[in-house]
Amino acid sequence: MAWRRLLITVLLIAPVIWLLAFGFTRDARYITSPLLAKEAAPFTVTLFDGRKISLNDLRSKAVFLNFWASWCTPCRAEAKDLEAAWQQVKDKNMVFLGVALQDTEKDSRAFLQEFNISYPNGRDETGKIAVDYGVWGIPESFFIDPQGRITYKHVGGIRATLVNAKLEEAARGIVSAKEGKEDYQPIR
Amino acid sequence: MLLRLLLIFYLLPLNPLPAADAVDIDEQTRSIAQELRCVVCQNLSVADSPSEMAQQMRGVIREQLQAGKTSQEVKDFFVSKYGEWVLLSPTTKGFSLLVWVLPFAVLVLGFGLALWLLRRWSANKTKPVGSPANSELLTRVRNDASTSEALAINPEDSSPHGELRQERARLYTELKELAFDYEAGKLAESDYATLKLDIENKAAEVLQRLDSLPSRRTSARRTTERAPSAAKRTPSEKNKRSYRGWQLATGGAFLLLFGLTLGIALTNSLRPRESAQDSITGGFLTGTGESGSTQFLQEGKSAFAKQDWPKAIEAFKRALAADPNQPEAHAYMGFILLQAGHADGALLAFDKALSQAPNFPMALWGKGMVLLRDKQDYSGARLVLGRLVQLLPSGAERSEVEKTIKEIPPAEGKPGPQVSAAAPSGQQIIGRISIDPKLKSNVDSQATLFIIARSDATKGPPLAVKKIDRPVFPVAYSLGPENVMMQGIPFTGRVSITARLDIDGNPTTRQPGDLTGDYKKNPVAVGSKNIDIVLDQVVQ
Repeated sequence: MAWRRLLITVLLIAPVIWLLAFGFTRDARYITSPLLAKEAAPFTVTLFDGRKISLNDLRSKAVFLNFWASWCTPCRAEAKDLEAAWQQVKDKNMVFLGVALQDTEKDSRAFLQEFNISYPNGRDETGKIAVDYGVWGIPESFFIDPQGRITYKHVGGIRATLVNAKLEEAARGIVSAKEGKEDYQPIR
Repeated sequence: MLLRLLLIFYLLPLNPLPAADAVDIDEQTRSIAQELRCVVCQNLSVADSPSEMAQQMRGVIREQLQAGKTSQEVKDFFVSKYGEWVLLSPTTKGFSLLVWVLPFAVLVLGFGLALWLLRRWSANKTKPVGSPANSELLTRVRNDASTSEALAINPEDSSPHGELRQERARLYTELKELAFDYEAGKLAESDYATLKLDIENKAAEVLQRLDSLPSRRTSARRTTERAPSAAKRTPSEKNKRSYRGWQLATGGAFLLLFGLTLGIALTNSLRPRESAQDSITGGFLTGTGESGSTQFLQEGKSAFAKQDWPKAIEAFKRALAADPNQPEAHAYMGFILLQAGHADGALLAFDKALSQAPNFPMALWGKGMVLLRDKQDYSGARLVLGRLVQLLPSGAERSEVEKTIKEIPPAEGKPGPQVSAAAPSGQQIIGRISIDPKLKSNVDSQATLFIIARSDATKGPPLAVKKIDRPVFPVAYSLGPENVMMQGIPFTGRVSITARLDIDGNPTTRQPGDLTGDYKKNPVAVGSKNIDIVLDQVVQ
């Protein structure tokens, strides 16, 4: 009789403790993306050098798409790494594309100049591209395979080694099971 | 008449419709936005959030409605991008169904439980403890209760008969006392009746058990067999009591632990909102709370002011251990390293500070000074200090920075006052290093530039080497006695000057991708100026 009472008490309290533990230990801001292995939304963006680039034009290439802003600290931290990664793969069948978000053109240009960024970059003026990619924190990076499918998503700063490794996977059409996470900043 | 009607029919929709459409789309946009969760705030709908992202999301909703999409299609679009999380009201399918069902299920269960407990409690209150006995037994009880024989007991008789007789005697005494109390007016009639019946029932039960026992003779024969079971009952009752005690103690300990955990977790996980869009959750559990770095930072600053460098270093290190992204601690470490003559380390520290707080004036000033005085990277120094000027309000500090910028030599490699302060210009080789335009795309922003002077006479190992981390081209440089590799060897005579932009930053190795260049009129005499080098070769 007594053990039955104990069991009932534990069964009643255990879910409450589990619920509290779950609530306290997870990042309340984090949104798991449903976009992995889905087709990347097509878009066209005007680059800072005046050219226009469309994602559809990049089919048959592995694409690294990075959302950033000049006011975002983790974006500054990863900027040099991204340029270094680009220097290593630019002669391969791979493309880097940066999209500045919630940023003024002047600040974005200063950012690119400060970090000597040489890969194509443009601005998402209306935020439509960001919504299309479910962006909520920056930097956010997407890896797209030559067939136009999202193979990996990374929220927060990313290292050159990981960029190159995931680009190689994207080039071979390998979809990651999980998205990655590092230090990020919520967008405004 | 017909013509008039046709005219009215024709003209009517022309004006009001667009306005009505606009209102309709506004209302629909708002209605959909109210159902969507703002992705950058906490528990605010897209309609209510003042954030830029919410505004952009409202723009997307409106655009899609104007394109002819239905409300459901618009919501489905957002779900396809952010998942069902984006819906403020979860769907009634799959796992989300639990959110709808569970509260009601818990409510029903709770209500049921409360009802059951209430009924049990009320039954316990009203029902006599003993089970209702038959009337024959009750009559016997009422007759026996007044006889003295029933009250005569042997207190030393521990046989089942003896125990039951003792119990019977106790209940009969209780009945007598109850009757006495009633007659004395201490009890109401209804209470007396209830209690009397209760005790009579118990006594009837005892009588029944007495009747069911074998006669005393048989019983005596079996006493030895039953004794152990009777003996067993007492320890089992004791065990039961001790078990209950343990139960209470465990329950108490559990409650205490639960309270402590909850108290600690809550106090460490909640923080004041820093902005309207900030969350109150944070702290050690989510890794987003404030660290204990502030105290160490204060200690470090105080030690820094007293020029107690070891203590300051220790404090800043601890501040950075608590919060590796603390820009102020990085900046102070930069100044300490600069003080100790470690320009490269200082530059790295200032860069770390600026990666966390790009407009941190102290780090900008430190970086500018290192670039200017230690690296002779005049263009870099001008850029960094220029940014600082933009940030500083008018005043003495700003004037000081502006004055410093004015004193920066032009980037064309002319010797600045700082260079001549390091060594007499006669002992310096001064020039500029640039990149061949064709190789500009090969520049690794993380690479290190080495400017190497080799003695023309010995053609041996480098006589002097200057290292510039992450250079910004074109780079003005000066090579002097302070860059000589082995102490005591004079920096004189004719030397060959080469430069290498090294990807791995290791001066002893060359690897594919490194850029190199020589001065075209090598060797040159120490004291020469305008020794410009173009990095025009790639190591294969």
